[in-house]
Amino acid sequence: MRRPVPRGRFHRHTAIARPAEGASPTVFLVLRRMRAPLIVLILIFAISVLGLTLIPGQDADGNPVRVGFFDAFYFMSYTATTIGYGEIPHPFTGAQRLWVTATIYLTVIGWAYAIGSLLATLRDRAFREAIALRRFTGTVKRLREPFLLVVGYGQTGQLLGHALDSLGRRMVVIDRSPEHIDTLDIDPYYSDIPGLVADARNPHTLGVAGLEHPGCEGVVALTDDDEANLVVAMTAALVRPGLPVIARTVSPAIEHRMRAFGSPTVVNPFDRYGDHLRLALHQPSSYLLMSWLVHEEGAEMPQPSRPPAAGRWIVCGFGRFGHKLTEDLRADGLEVTVIDLRLDAEPGPGMIEGDASEPSVLAEADLAGAAGFVAGTDNDATNLSLVAAARKANPSLFIGARQNRPANAPLFAAMEIDWLLVPSEMAAREIYARLSTPMLWRFLQEMPELGDDWAADTLDRMQAYCGAKLGALWKMTLSEREAPALQPWLRSGVAVGDLLRSPRNRQKRLDAVPLMLARDGETILGPADDVPVRPGDEVLFVGRPYSRRALIDTVTNRVVAEYVLSGREVPAGWVWQRVTGKIPTGSQSTDSPGRSSDDP
Amino acid sequence: MCRDEAQLMSLEKVIFGFFVLLAATLNFGFFIGDISNPALHNEYELFAAVVVNLIATVLKFGDRTQIGAVHLATSLVADLQLIAATLTWVYATQISTAGMTPEATASVVSLSGGALLANLVSVALLVIETTTFQRR
Repeated sequence: MRRPVPRGRFHRHTAIARPAEGASPTVFLVLRRMRAPLIVLILIFAISVLGLTLIPGQDADGNPVRVGFFDAFYFMSYTATTIGYGEIPHPFTGAQRLWVTATIYLTVIGWAYAIGSLLATLRDRAFREAIALRRFTGTVKRLREPFLLVVGYGQTGQLLGHALDSLGRRMVVIDRSPEHIDTLDIDPYYSDIPGLVADARNPHTLGVAGLEHPGCEGVVALTDDDEANLVVAMTAALVRPGLPVIARTVSPAIEHRMRAFGSPTVVNPFDRYGDHLRLALHQPSSYLLMSWLVHEEGAEMPQPSRPPAAGRWIVCGFGRFGHKLTEDLRADGLEVTVIDLRLDAEPGPGMIEGDASEPSVLAEADLAGAAGFVAGTDNDATNLSLVAAARKANPSLFIGARQNRPANAPLFAAMEIDWLLVPSEMAAREIYARLSTPMLWRFLQEMPELGDDWAADTLDRMQAYCGAKLGALWKMTLSEREAPALQPWLRSGVAVGDLLRSPRNRQKRLDAVPLMLARDGETILGPADDVPVRPGDEVLFVGRPYSRRALIDTVTNRVVAEYVLSGREVPAGWVWQRVTGKIPTGSQSTDSPGRSSDDP
Repeated sequence: MCRDEAQLMSLEKVIFGFFVLLAATLNFGFFIGDISNPALHNEYELFAAVVVNLIATVLKFGDRTQIGAVHLATSLVADLQLIAATLTWVYATQISTAGMTPEATASVVSLSGGALLANLVSVALLVIETTTFQRR
C-alpha cells in the first residue's frame, strides 16, 4: 500500500483544468440557438410547396394541370424572399391564389423569425463573451515571447502597463471591469496586449490567461480587492511554484497570509509612504536619489521638495494608512497627535476623537505648535478641506496629504502639498523598479545605509555625467556569454574605472556611473574606479545610451577591449593581425593571457 | 430515483427519435421497388424524405457529444445524397428532353439508396444511445 503524501507538499506542478466552454467552437452555440427557427422555416417551406403541388391549376386552354415540385419550389423561393417573378408556369386559379396568399404571410414570418434569431444570437452577451474568450485564448497561446500576467488594470495597472510597454515588455491583462479592458484598445501601446474581462479569483481564468504558459515570467496582482490579490498570489504559488509574484495590498493581515504561499513580493503603498517620509526626514539626498531612480528614462531630477520638519505631527484619519504612518513616525521618536471620527484605539494623550473639519477639534490639536500635518482620510474632498483649514491656522506647517482618485490630481497640485501620497502611483513606481531592473531595487534597498553624504555625492556624479535628465539604467554581467572579450583580462585584474574608458579615446571616460557591483550575493554600492572586477560580476550602471553601446562594444569585441584596457591598437582582421604580429590578448591560445595592462 | 428519472418520457427524445426514424422509413419507401421503373417511385415520397431529413439534421445541431457528432455527420451524408437525387430528378423532368427514362429513374433511386444507408446508420446510433442510456 502507498503511504499517504505528506501534507503541505505543494512544490509540484499542478495543472488547472480548462473549462469545457473555453475550447468549444462558438459555431455550436449559434447552431444550437438556430435549431428552432430553422425547423420552422423548413416546415413552412415544405407545407407551402406541397400545397402548391396538390392544388389543381389550369393552363391557357383551360385544361387541368398541376404545378410540379420543381416549379412549386422555384415559385415559393422567390415569393418567400419577396422577389416575385409572377405566376408560373400558367396564371394561377383562384384556389391557388388563396393558398399562395396564406403561404406568403407564413414564409415572411418564418424568415423574420430566423434572421431575427440569428442577429439576436450574434449580439448576445454570452455569445460575444465566448468569441472574446476564444480570441484571447488563441492570442495567449500564440505568444512566443516572455510575458507578464497582470491581474487588475485600474490606475496602478495602467501606469505600470504603459511604463513596461515602452520598455518592450509583453503583458497579458485580466480585469473584472470592461472599461479597464477597453483602455487596452483606446490608449496607445507599442505592442498588442491581450485583455480579458473575467474574475481572477477563478483559477481557470488565470489558466486561460497563460499562467501555465512556458513564457509566463511573472504574475502581478494589482486589483483593488485585497482578497482577490491574495487568491491570485495563492493560485500562482500552487500552480507554478517559484514563479515570481508581485501583489499589492494595503492590509498587513493579507500581507501575512500572502507570505504563507511561496515568497511573493508584497507591495504596500501605505507602508512605503511612512518609510519615505522618514528617509526624507533624515536623509534628504538619499530620498532624492531614490525618487529619481524609480522614474523612467529621461525624467528630470525631481525638485528637492521642502524637507519634512522634526517636531510634533498631526495625522487626520486613523485608518490603515493613518495607523501605519503614526507607527512609523512614532518609531522615529516624533510626537504624533491623531484625529479621527471614531478612534478604535485607546483614547490617550495625542488621540483626539472628533470631526477634524470642526474648528474646535482642530484647535484642540494645537496646530500652531505643530511641525507637520497629514490629511490621510480616504475622501479627497475631506483631505483638501483639512489642508486648507490647517494652512489657515498655521501657514508654516509641513503639509502631507493622500490623494485617492487620479481625477483630483489638479486640485492637489493647486494646493501645493509638500508631500503627496498617491497610492496607485507609488505602487506602480515600486513594481516598475522591481520589474524593469531587479538589481536597481536591491540598490535602492541598501542605498540608505551609506548615508546622506554618499547619496549627495552620487547625485552630483550622476548629474555630471548624465546631465539633468535620468540616463538609461542597465545591468551588465561580466560572464563568458555576455562579456567574451573581457575574459582574458578579468583573470589578471581589471578595475571598474578601466572598463569605463571610451573606445574612441581611452584617456576620456564614458558618461556612465557604476551604481552597484554584485558578486556571489555580496554587493558593493557605488564602486570606486579602482575596485577590481572578476568574472561573473554583475554591475549596475546609469548613464547616457551611447555609453551603454560603447561599453557593450568593449566587453564583446576583443580588438576594442585590447585598446580600452591596454592602449594597444590591434588590427581587426585575422590576416592583418598575422602580418603585423599584433594579435589580441584573448586570441593567443598558447600565450598565457596573464598580461597586465601596458599602461603605467 | 435514477430509474424513475430514466423512465420518464422526454418529449425532446420522442421528437428526435420520431424524425430520425421517419426519415429512414420515408427514404426506404421511396427506394423500394424496381430500380428503373418510374411508376414505382413516388415523387411526393422523395419530397417528404428530403424535408424530414433536413429537419432531422437541424435537430442534431449543437450536440457536442461524440455520438451527437456522428449523428450529425450521418444526417449530412443523407442530405447530400437526397439533394443529389432531387437534382437528378429535376434534370430529368425539366432540362432533359427525354424525361424520366429508366436510366434517370435508376440514378435517382440509387442515390436515395445511398441516403437510406446513412439513415440506417442514424437509426442504429439512436438505438445504441437509447440502450446505453437505460443501463446507466
